[in-house]
Amino acid sequence: MTTSEPKRRVKVKDASDVIAGVVLFGFSVVLIFYLVPNYINEPPILQSPMMSPQWLPRIVGWLILVFSILLILQGLLVEGSNEEDERTIEKGSPRRFGLMVVALAIYVTLFEVMGAVFCGILATLILFVAHPVRTWWVYSLAFVFPIVVTFLFVEVMNVPLPMMPFWF
Amino acid sequence: MNKIINAAFSAVCGGVLALTVSVSSAVAQEWPTDDIRLVVPYAPGGTTDVLSRRVADLLQQELDANVVVENRPGAGSTVGTGRLARGGRDVDHTILMASPGHTIGAAIYPDLGYDPVEDFVFLQNMIDIPNVMVVPADSPYESVIEFVEAAKEENMTFSHSGVGSSIHMSGELFKTLTDTNMTAVPFAGSGAALPALLGGDVDVSFENMPTVLSHIRSGDLRALAVTSAERSEYLPDVPTLSEIGEYNLDQFVTTAWFGLVAHKSFPEEAQSVMQDALARVMEREEFLDFAEQLGAEPGQVSGEEFKQFIADEVERWEDVAQQAGISQ
Amino acid sequence: MENFSEVIEIFFSLDNFLAIAIGVVIGVVIGSIPGLTATMAVALALPFTFSMQPVAAILLLVGIYKGGMYGGSITAILIRTPGSPASACTLLDGYPMAQQGHAKKALKTALYSSVIADFISNIALIFFAAYLAKIALNFGAPEFFWLICFSLTIIISLASGSMIKGLMAALLGILLSMVGLDDVFGSQRLTFGSYNLMDSISFIPLLIGLFAIPEIIEFYRKKAIPHIKAKASGAGLAFSELKRCMKSIVRGSLIGVIIGAIPGTGATAAAFISYSDARRRSPNKANFGKGEVEGVAAAEAGNNGVAGATMIPLLSLGIPGDVITAIILGAFMIHGLTPGPLMFQENLSLIYALFMGIMFSSVVLLVVGNVAIKYFSLIADIPKSILFPIVLMFCVYGAYAVNNDTFDVGLMLAFGVLGYVFNRAAIPAAPFLIGFILGPMFEDNLRRSLLIGSNDLSIFVRGPITWFFIVLTVGSILLAIYRYLSTRRELRAGTGTGDEAP
Repeated sequence: MTTSEPKRRVKVKDASDVIAGVVLFGFSVVLIFYLVPNYINEPPILQSPMMSPQWLPRIVGWLILVFSILLILQGLLVEGSNEEDERTIEKGSPRRFGLMVVALAIYVTLFEVMGAVFCGILATLILFVAHPVRTWWVYSLAFVFPIVVTFLFVEVMNVPLPMMPFWF
Repeated sequence: MNKIINAAFSAVCGGVLALTVSVSSAVAQEWPTDDIRLVVPYAPGGTTDVLSRRVADLLQQELDANVVVENRPGAGSTVGTGRLARGGRDVDHTILMASPGHTIGAAIYPDLGYDPVEDFVFLQNMIDIPNVMVVPADSPYESVIEFVEAAKEENMTFSHSGVGSSIHMSGELFKTLTDTNMTAVPFAGSGAALPALLGGDVDVSFENMPTVLSHIRSGDLRALAVTSAERSEYLPDVPTLSEIGEYNLDQFVTTAWFGLVAHKSFPEEAQSVMQDALARVMEREEFLDFAEQLGAEPGQVSGEEFKQFIADEVERWEDVAQQAGISQ
Repeated sequence: MENFSEVIEIFFSLDNFLAIAIGVVIGVVIGSIPGLTATMAVALALPFTFSMQPVAAILLLVGIYKGGMYGGSITAILIRTPGSPASACTLLDGYPMAQQGHAKKALKTALYSSVIADFISNIALIFFAAYLAKIALNFGAPEFFWLICFSLTIIISLASGSMIKGLMAALLGILLSMVGLDDVFGSQRLTFGSYNLMDSISFIPLLIGLFAIPEIIEFYRKKAIPHIKAKASGAGLAFSELKRCMKSIVRGSLIGVIIGAIPGTGATAAAFISYSDARRRSPNKANFGKGEVEGVAAAEAGNNGVAGATMIPLLSLGIPGDVITAIILGAFMIHGLTPGPLMFQENLSLIYALFMGIMFSSVVLLVVGNVAIKYFSLIADIPKSILFPIVLMFCVYGAYAVNNDTFDVGLMLAFGVLGYVFNRAAIPAAPFLIGFILGPMFEDNLRRSLLIGSNDLSIFVRGPITWFFIVLTVGSILLAIYRYLSTRRELRAGTGTGDEAP
């Protein structure tokens, strides 16, 4: 997303706005002409068009369409203001980012299967390694927190979390 | 804590002696051998939840086992119910508090993925809450007959607490039976629906008794009829709809029922233990007091009778939903 | 006042004080854990109240409610994880403040404005309950519709930076809020046959995903920077600053009281209305959203002003305004009490004992809050490399706990990615949230009005309340357009010279 090199002299003033605008334009077209008619059932008898379940989604769809065009125009014509500076970040190593993605994936895919404690420990460890945290005792927190918090949730507050399959 | 020690102990034994032993020992032991999960298919705080927590508390004392309440809300109770129907590992220690959503849900949701009757065993109907047909205090209608006659002439609006609630379906049933002009006005829960009724924005509602009882007593609402088979002891002067005798209303008997069900593979031994315990719970002073606070009558049916009742309900609501055009 | 002694007798029992204290502590602690909400805490505490005296039982629940309302703001400020939707507004300025090393100041501001708002709200409950209850009854669907329209206009003032992006975010929020079963016909909308989507998208996963997860993603996307060892908890709140915020706090509290007295609107709308009002009036408007004390104060005043006022429709009409008061209503009924007009006749001394307890709970909140701040502000000193993995774990557990469903964990992470994309594209998340909350209310009340009025549009102008909000709405839009145009003119003049500089 941060590909807009400041040196390159192009007509486009704010590339990411244009991209966002185009994406949203495409989305709104799909919404209005495909999703709304196919995935929202309309009852056969309606006293007023405003009563239809499709009414507001349609209006929102058209408004998104209009605003996405405005966004594209804004990106093409209006000079990006100083907020641009906040958007550019210094990217870290792909390994760091990749490990975070792995940690998130663990939570999504293994949470029900392997239980809250297991996933908590594993993902926290991975995130510590990703940073990397160099203080060795911190790694023990990756074990303490998931176990203690799970115990609190399940036993004290009676909020069930998935347990490991062999934890009958 | 006991449970953890137990679990550790049986894990050690089981590890050495293989699974068969622990299975057979589980059979030999009196049911329940573990914590019992009481699934509430609604969010915390509603009638179903409050009732379930009360029942869990009493059941715990009768059964000498932990009863843990677990909320699995979603899609008018069908999410939690569907999950139970699909089974799972501790299905022999799981019970569910079913309510009208169980039968109405079957009528209005497409492909539930389970059979609301055949996939369950029916333990005990805990309480029945009648609905009350109420009109605002300044409404010109003093009786059901007057109301029906007026509704044949002009369009009436009735408020309800959400599509597929027993309040909504009662209204639709009334409309179908009496063949009147009525428009359903949906609200997000009874709490939101009540001001519209009190303020006279809608003409009538078929609210649950506990929601409107105090307003009837204070004179802010007028009760025209109750929907149960017999008059309610809380409103002895108010006739039942079936008493009216005209406009097919003799067929109008419906209550918001709440009862415990379990998965169809729930062991038979467990069923009898459970039914005995529940019968004892229902005799307890605390339970009867609680039911009174809700304006409810203790449930009448259990076992096969309960099952038959559910089967009839499913059929009835399917008809109503179809005629009202809300079945998808 | 013949039953004065009776009131004293009912109120002054150790049980009551214990109940309030325990309630507030539980509320603050649970409210401050991401994903665990005051609603959940109240529901879980309910069975324990079965065996208690009625007054103590209700006060325990009220204590949890109030503690939870404040507790939610702690995590909002410290780790950008709103404990409740209402505290999402607090994080707009609270989190930047914590990042600048003013965590303690932000927490104290939140606490003091919460307590003051709570106090004002309780006064309103005690003295104006009957009057405010009348407003609630005159508030039908058309009145609601215009109130929502007015609330939607605050999106314009919240859209910092680009108006187009702000409105776009709001539209996307409205669109997502429509996923689920249609309220009138029960037909499915954009659920694609998924049962998890039928009850519409769960709120807590959306909140956590939208605000907390993008921070975490961004942290790991960025290059590792060494933790700057500073006493990040920083200084407390100076009296002069509190004085400066006082007007916003009082105004926010009153907004909260009005909104709270109308069943079904909720603390979130109050917080955002109060916030945007404070911003509109503030001399340092530009600092809002970047760590402005007054922003925190206004948001917290708005949402806590609601707390006492939601008891108004509950006690005087027997109408619960939100889920928590619905549970409290349940607690009343379990103890053989039915809130409503009759209770004021039959159990007056009990009601006054309750009022005293509710007033007392504000004091307890102040004490407990101060202690909590002392320890919680230490969280701001923990390096992010250690804090964030643990925060993520809490977020996942919390998202799961809402519905006991892994689907919500996935949903939360999906919203995390969306929130991250929003950050990158400089699309503000707050309008998205407002759109998500107000969208369904807008549609429902529009259709409800049409149903009640049999499609006669004149119902939308049926009384003084509707006109009042129509004027407010139109005025708010005109003001926004005027402001937009004038800042545009200024900006053009400003950037003109700015371009010459390099």
